[in-house]
Amino acid sequence: MLKRVADWLNGRLKLGGIRELLLDEPIPGGASWVYVFGSITLFFFVTQLITGLLLTIYYSPSPDHAYDSIQFIEQEVTFGWFIRGLHHWGASAMVIAIGLHMLQVYLYGAYKPPRELMWIVGVVLFILVLMFAFTGYLLPWDQKAYWATQVGTNMLGTVPLVGDLLVRAARGGADLGALTLSRFFSMHALIFPWLTVGLIGLHLFILRRVGPAGPWDKARAESSSEPFYPRQVFIDAVAILAAFLIVVGMAIWLPFPLADKADPSAADFVPLPEWYFLFYYELLKYFKGPILEPIGTMLLPALFYALLFALPFIDRRRERRPAKRPVALAAGAGFLLVVFLLLGVSLHRVWSLPTATPAVAAGKQLYAKLQCAACHRIHGEGGSFGPDLSYIGKERDREWLIRHFKNPQAVVPGSAMPPFDLDEPSLNKLADYLLTLK
Amino acid sequence: MTTRREFLGRVTGLIAAAIGAVMAVPAVGYLIGPAWRRATPPWAGAGTIADLPTDQPVQREVVIETQDGWLKSEQTKGVWVAKLSTGEIRVYNPHCTHLGCAFKWNRDKQQFLCPCHGGVYDLNGRVLAGPPPRPLDTMEYKIEGDRLIVNYADFKSGASKKSPI
Repeated sequence: MLKRVADWLNGRLKLGGIRELLLDEPIPGGASWVYVFGSITLFFFVTQLITGLLLTIYYSPSPDHAYDSIQFIEQEVTFGWFIRGLHHWGASAMVIAIGLHMLQVYLYGAYKPPRELMWIVGVVLFILVLMFAFTGYLLPWDQKAYWATQVGTNMLGTVPLVGDLLVRAARGGADLGALTLSRFFSMHALIFPWLTVGLIGLHLFILRRVGPAGPWDKARAESSSEPFYPRQVFIDAVAILAAFLIVVGMAIWLPFPLADKADPSAADFVPLPEWYFLFYYELLKYFKGPILEPIGTMLLPALFYALLFALPFIDRRRERRPAKRPVALAAGAGFLLVVFLLLGVSLHRVWSLPTATPAVAAGKQLYAKLQCAACHRIHGEGGSFGPDLSYIGKERDREWLIRHFKNPQAVVPGSAMPPFDLDEPSLNKLADYLLTLK
Repeated sequence: MTTRREFLGRVTGLIAAAIGAVMAVPAVGYLIGPAWRRATPPWAGAGTIADLPTDQPVQREVVIETQDGWLKSEQTKGVWVAKLSTGEIRVYNPHCTHLGCAFKWNRDKQQFLCPCHGGVYDLNGRVLAGPPPRPLDTMEYKIEGDRLIVNYADFKSGASKKSPI
């Protein structure tokens, strides 16, 4: 039956040639599991398109309604939580997929001539993925979204001469508000998707023209070749299924609740970016001050992207074997090392229990038992009634903290905090815990 | 005897179908969810019953919380409350069953009159004259102490049988 429909269409559209074009692409050296990451990235882009499209059916991109509309999707829309979950975790999957894809291409030297154009288009796509992530983060208009975007757009201000102009252009004005949300939504849901679809088309067109690079070993590359269909398509499908099931699992079992509604007057909220930006968030901690800050916020990223774009022109040697490319390998490995080190430090700071002493662990338990999080926030978790305690260890000493626990009003007149006149050991354990928050 | 090529092709197709299903089923539910979701009628206070005159319907205001998607808002609705001589209390929906216009109680004629197309109802809500296809729609209520609590609901106009919107 299917064949009859296919034959009917083929008779009218002459699809035979296109089928060959798409499916019979020869892969030098044969199909391999190593080549799946490009397809996985494309797959996740498509799922983001679909889930994103579905989200726009109920989402309202204005500060008044954005939060409520997303809560509506989470709580009232049939499978709304699932679609939103797929979109959220799909974004992380996309970043991982494109990272692995770039890594594989880099390792195989597939950026070298004659594939420079593919690489350049790919780098633009990579930048687009990061911009998708940045603009999408604002859309829930909760505290995390609002303040993270405040910090992110502030960073544009560190560019010399045109900094202020850039901030205003990004925000749609001096402040973060309705105009920011509407332009971020437009970029996220319309401008970037169209650009990305076009560039993916270009990326694949160039691939078809120049052919896949294949193995770095010339002998292997020339010894055999097989068409894209059926083996590479099959291998891609299995890899895609595995990745998809992981994301589905995360959507079902890993909830990510909305923080409080955005409150522009609560300037003490300490925002955290998504995990894939944490390494940069950590890096910027070491670039403070009028000279170092613009280096961190502007010069380093600019250098990084410039290097990425220029890579095929800096490294023009045709040699693709990693063993014969020590500089490229060292640079790549070095970069990965730095990024993961920074990510590790950041995660440790944010989430791990300092293994210093059992007293700190006991203090953290006390914090939970006494429900301090009802009024205080630590790294985005907790209420905003009282001061944010994320870095309290740097701001107060033990003596002050214990005095404050026992009688908040004596230390901070007008404080609404109830007294916690615990025994000395407990007060010290609580202080031990808070002092680790730096 | 299927060739390897055919087998791989079929498995690929199966994988694509499986992924498609996992995406399509929730997507369809997501899209048409609002079609079958019906809002539960809200309960709201409609004043006290002690001061209700007998056989003289009065219009009482109820403030109900309505939900329009994610938009929560309060709407004020007028309901007609009648205490009959039998002691029974009736709460009438304020929309004429013909085409939804707001009708009024006329003291002199002791009838509900609809200004739009001349519908006429008696104290019990029965149609006396005009185009209304069914009697006035009553709404559920409960009495807590002296307070009247109404379960506000709207019904389809123009139908001969009362059915909720």
